[in-house]
Amino acid sequence: MSDTVADYSYTRSECLMSIENLGVHYDRPILRDINLKIYDIVRPNLTQGQVVTILGPSGIGKTQLLRCIAGLQSPATGTVSIQAEHGDKHVHAGDVGMVGQHYPLFNHRTVVDNLLIAAKRANKTREAVDHYLGDFKLADQASKYPMQLSGGQRQRVAIIQQLLNRSRFLVMDEPFSGLDPQAKQMVCDTLLTVSQKHEWSTTIVISHDIDAAIYISDTICVLGRTRDGQGQPLPGATIVDRYDLMEMGLAWRPDKQKLLQFATLRENIIDRFKTLL
Amino acid sequence: MRALWTPYVWFSRRSIVVLIGVQVAVTLGIWLSLRATWLPSPVGIIEAWRQLIVNQGLLPNLLESIRTSLISLVAAGLLSTLIVFLSTAPLFWPFAKFMAALRFLGFAGLTYIFTLLTKNGDDLKVGLLTFGMTVFMTTSLMAEVKAIPQSSIDHCRTLDMHGWRISYELVLRGKLDTILDLVRQNAAVGWTLLTMVEGLVRSSGGVGVMLLNQNRYFNLDGVFAIQITILLYGLLQDWFLGWVRQAVCPYLATE
Repeated sequence: MSDTVADYSYTRSECLMSIENLGVHYDRPILRDINLKIYDIVRPNLTQGQVVTILGPSGIGKTQLLRCIAGLQSPATGTVSIQAEHGDKHVHAGDVGMVGQHYPLFNHRTVVDNLLIAAKRANKTREAVDHYLGDFKLADQASKYPMQLSGGQRQRVAIIQQLLNRSRFLVMDEPFSGLDPQAKQMVCDTLLTVSQKHEWSTTIVISHDIDAAIYISDTICVLGRTRDGQGQPLPGATIVDRYDLMEMGLAWRPDKQKLLQFATLRENIIDRFKTLL
Repeated sequence: MRALWTPYVWFSRRSIVVLIGVQVAVTLGIWLSLRATWLPSPVGIIEAWRQLIVNQGLLPNLLESIRTSLISLVAAGLLSTLIVFLSTAPLFWPFAKFMAALRFLGFAGLTYIFTLLTKNGDDLKVGLLTFGMTVFMTTSLMAEVKAIPQSSIDHCRTLDMHGWRISYELVLRGKLDTILDLVRQNAAVGWTLLTMVEGLVRSSGGVGVMLLNQNRYFNLDGVFAIQITILLYGLLQDWFLGWVRQAVCPYLATE
């Protein structure tokens, strides 16, 4: 029996992503005043990436936020900046990997071709592709077409494709949507594996699954609408709550679901959800 | 028995074969027993077929029609694919819309223009037929391209693809199976247009000319014999193009 006590100490280092005063408007405000900074979390003797989950009820504007973070949509106001090789830069399409809700892949290409297309664009080799396939337990699926894969396998291929292209930033849209508990656990494990691939690996998950969010994240942001003095919801969603799971002693702990803080935080977020729309 | 009238009921392959066999037998029975002026007898059609082959050159005319049809089909497939590929850029989109709108034009009104544009009857036939199929294929393909979801375009952009590279991946590669399916469908449409075009340009022959000649002399046996010939060739061509589509797009077998 091991007597070693797990070390959950950490420090915050440089800022990897900065979202400042982001707003999205169409005929009405969708998002407003979104501010979020994601720092490199450093743990002694460990490669530890960052996992931030943005929780929010359906229809609140989570996907719009994700598209802005991935550089696929220009916000009406504000900026999204990421740390690049030569200092900070505004995000552009292709800087941040994104895995959509239905795990988009090129159905006319085999798994390995789907990955090679990403690898070639990032000057990576076939060996890198094979390495990832092995890591994500997909080596025997390499010659199959996406339509021949299960939902979970398809999701993992979509993640690898984005990791091969841009290994540092990954945003995921509703990765737990419609999954049974076992499949959800597998996705959580996959995301935790991704977060430990590189010290700067930064995963932003957009979801409304509170349990999974607490399980995988070091930080949770809640997106919703604030209310005016008369209790009327103000137009446009913003980040209304921020939970630092590292500070709460919940981050990275494999047994966290058994802890009282887990249940308490879950209840808090559920109560908060009721006031958001 | 009640299941036969019930939609979405599962039938075994064997049951389907039996069902088709019974229906074919009943149809043949009715045909053989019917004495109608508008429906020639099978014996009359077979005799007309023999006459057409031996005395009127059905086979060389059929080959001529197949040649015209295939050249036009390939040209229309390439042209409409090029037009739709280019239409993903705003500059070419109005042109593609215009081409699709031309499907409303009648052939009779175009014959004179195409006569001025082409050198001989052969070119005129191919030109008219290519035009006819291109405008229909462009219409169908543009609907397919419009249906490409934003998430697919986003997917390409996250992989650092831009501009024509996205069009190549999503339209040329991603829609290749649809393009080939449209070629298959338009091959059938092409045969209905072909007989019309050959009627307009009688000098180069073809089954369309033969069909019009049989009509002119009220030879219904001959008309049926030619129609059945076209139908049989059409089914064979349809099967072949379906096979080509499966061979070129192996991922279809996995759907």
